[in-house]
Amino acid sequence: MKTVHALIAGSLVASVLGLAQPAVAEEVLRFATWDSDESLAIEQAIARKFEEAHPGVKVQVEAYGGDGYDQKLAAGFGAGNPPDVMYMWNFPQYKTSLMPLDDLITRDAAALDLKDFPEGLMNASRIDGKTYGMPAGFTTHVVFYNRDMFAKAGVEEPKAGWTWDDLRAKAGKFRNEAEKTYGFAVDAKPDPYDFEQFLWSNGTRYISDDGKTIDGFMNSREAAEVLDMFGDMAKRQEAVTVNVGENTSASALFKSGKIAMLEGAMWNKSGLDESGVKYGVAPLPAFAGKPVQSAISISAMSIAKDTKQADLAWEFVKFYASPEAVAMRTNDLPVRTSVADRKGMTTDPVYKPFFDVLAVSSKERPAFLKNPKWAQIQENLAVAIEAAITEQGNAQAHLDEAVQRSQRFLK
Amino acid sequence: MSHDSRARPRLRISLTPYLFISPWVLGFLLFTLGPLVFSLTMSFYDWPVVGERSFVGFGNYRSMLTEDPMFWESLGITTRFALIYVPFNIVLSFLLALMLHHARFGAGFFRTAFYLPSVISGVALVMIWNWIYSQEYGLLNYMLSFAGVEPVNWLGDKQIAVVAIIIASLWGLGGTMLILLTGLKGIPRELYEAATVSGVPGWAQTVYITIPMLGPMLVFTFITSIISAFQQLTIALLLTKGGPQKATYFFAMYIYDNAFKFYDMGYAAAGSWIMFLFVLALSLLVMRWSAAWSYYEGELKSGGRDA
Repeated sequence: MKTVHALIAGSLVASVLGLAQPAVAEEVLRFATWDSDESLAIEQAIARKFEEAHPGVKVQVEAYGGDGYDQKLAAGFGAGNPPDVMYMWNFPQYKTSLMPLDDLITRDAAALDLKDFPEGLMNASRIDGKTYGMPAGFTTHVVFYNRDMFAKAGVEEPKAGWTWDDLRAKAGKFRNEAEKTYGFAVDAKPDPYDFEQFLWSNGTRYISDDGKTIDGFMNSREAAEVLDMFGDMAKRQEAVTVNVGENTSASALFKSGKIAMLEGAMWNKSGLDESGVKYGVAPLPAFAGKPVQSAISISAMSIAKDTKQADLAWEFVKFYASPEAVAMRTNDLPVRTSVADRKGMTTDPVYKPFFDVLAVSSKERPAFLKNPKWAQIQENLAVAIEAAITEQGNAQAHLDEAVQRSQRFLK
Repeated sequence: MSHDSRARPRLRISLTPYLFISPWVLGFLLFTLGPLVFSLTMSFYDWPVVGERSFVGFGNYRSMLTEDPMFWESLGITTRFALIYVPFNIVLSFLLALMLHHARFGAGFFRTAFYLPSVISGVALVMIWNWIYSQEYGLLNYMLSFAGVEPVNWLGDKQIAVVAIIIASLWGLGGTMLILLTGLKGIPRELYEAATVSGVPGWAQTVYITIPMLGPMLVFTFITSIISAFQQLTIALLLTKGGPQKATYFFAMYIYDNAFKFYDMGYAAAGSWIMFLFVLALSLLVMRWSAAWSYYEGELKSGGRDA
C-alpha cells in the first residue's frame, strides 16, 4: 500500500505540473454532451463544421454518456473545472453556475431569428424570467405501431384523435399466449418526467403551479385513474409489464414483433429503422373528452458562468442553433420551424404526429422546474408508480403514501 | 501500550525513521484522514455540489433521524441483509475451508476455483448474475424447471430480490475462505494426534480443537463480514437498482443517492458518519463479546498479572 500511495502522490504531482505547462497555440473549447453512438457522431460533425468556420479553434467534444452525465458534470462544477459549453436540461439544479443568455440573445436577435423557435421550446430553459440555454434538439411522444401486425390481425390502424379506450380495444386483439405477443407494453418504472404527460392529458399534474402543493395533485383522482388504467391493462393482458426485474425493454419487444404498439419518442426511431419493422406513427391517445399533451424532452446548450472564453462559447452555441446545424441533427427533431418545413417533416406521416402534439404541449410546465427538491419527491412518486403497476391497481393508496412521505420536502 | 522508559534519554528527533514511513504517513493523511475530516465537516453543512454552502450544525443528522423514513427503512433492509449474510458467509467459508483442508487431490485447483469469484470485478459479477437470475432465459430457472419448479421472478419480486442479492454476495466468499484455510493450516498437527490417541471422536476434535484455535480468524472474518455487509452497494445498485419498490434499497445506496442523485453532499456525509459509528459500535461489541471465547496466543489480559 505504501508504494501505491507514493505512486499515486507522485503521479498527482506530475499531472499538476503537466497542467501548468503553457497551453497549445490554438484555442480549445470544451463541449460536454450526454449523447453516444450515432447522436454523438452528429455532434462531432457539427463541431467540425464550426472548426472549419473558425480557424485556430478546436472543439473538444466530451461524451460523458447518458447515465453518468450528471455525475461528471456536477463533479466538473464542484471541482471548478466545468466544460465551457454543455448540454443541459436540469436548469433548476445548475442555474447558479450557468450564464444567463438574455443579453446575448437580444444583441444577436436578428441573426438568431427567434420567431423560428417554437415558444414551448424556449420556455423549457427559462427560470424566473432568465434564459439559461438555447434549444438544440427536442422530441415529443407518440405511439409507434407495427403495420404488419395490424394488417395480419385485421385491426384498423390508429388515427389522429383516438383515445385510450380505442388503444385498449385494439391492444386486446393482439394477445396470443403461444406466441407471447401483446398489444402494448406498460412500463413499471417509467421516467416520471415523461409519465407526467398522461396526468396532463387527464387534466391534472404532479405539483401545483407555484410548486408548493402536491396533495390533491399527485394523488388526485385523475392521477390514480391513469395508474389504475395501466394496471388494468396489464391485468387484462392488453399489455405486457416491462421493467419488473427483467431488463427487456418495451422497444426491444416492439422490434422483435412481440408487441403491436409502443409509446415512445424520437430516441426509439433510429433503432426501429434499423430493426426493419414496418411501423407507422400515431399521436398519443387522449383520455376521452380531454386535450392531449405530451412531455417535451429538450436538449439545450448552456454556457458555464465562469468560462474564460465566453465569446467563443456563445459563437458556438449560436452556430448550434443555426439552420445549418439544426438541419444536421437527424436523431432528434429540428428546433427551427423553418428547417422542419423545408425538410417536409411537418407533413410527412412519420414526423407529423411529433409536431402536431408539440403545438398543443406548451400549457403545462414539468414538475422539476417548479420545486428545487423535486428529485427527492420524485423518488417517492416513482415507488408509487411501480407499486401501482406491478400490483395492477390500488393506485390511490400508493399515491397517498407518496404524498405523505414527500411532505417534508415542501416545507 | 506503555512506553519503554529507557527510550526517554534519547529523545533527539531523528528524521530518518520518519522519512522511511513517510510514504505511508503521507498516503494516510492525504487519502484517509484528510477525506475523513473533510466529510465530517461536510456533514454539518447544507452542501450542494453546485451553488452556495451553508452551515446547518446538526441539522442534517436531526432531519435524517427524525424526519426521513427512508433512513430507517434502508437501515432496516441492510440490517436484515447482514443478519442473514454474515452467518452464512462465515459458516459456508468455514465448511469450504475444511473441505479444502482435508481434500486429498485437486486442492490447489479448487482453492483457485473458489477464490476466482473474488477476483472478478463487481460489475462483471453482476452481469453474470443478471443472466443467471433472468426469469425467462436464466440459468437458475432453467435448472429449477427440471425439478418442476415454476419460473421464479428473482429480481422482480419484493420478497425474493433480497434473497437473490444475498446469494450473489455469498458467491464472493473466497476471501473469507482463504483466511480460514490459512488458519486451519496453522493449527499444530500434534493437537489432533494427541486427541486421536486419546480416542476423541472427529466431531469433538472440530468443536474443541479446530474452532477455538481458529478463534482470532473467526473474529476477524466476523468483523470484516459485518463491515462488508453494511457497505453492500455494487450488487444492489447494478442488479436491482434498489428495487423492486425499494425492497433492496440498502443503506449505502441511500447515501449514494443523496450524494450523486440529489447532490446533497452534506446529508450524504452525515449518513456516512452514522454508518461509520454504527459499524464501529457493532465491531467493538463483537470484539468485547469475542474476548469471552477467542484465545489470542501471547495476549495478556486484565493488566497482565503474569508479566
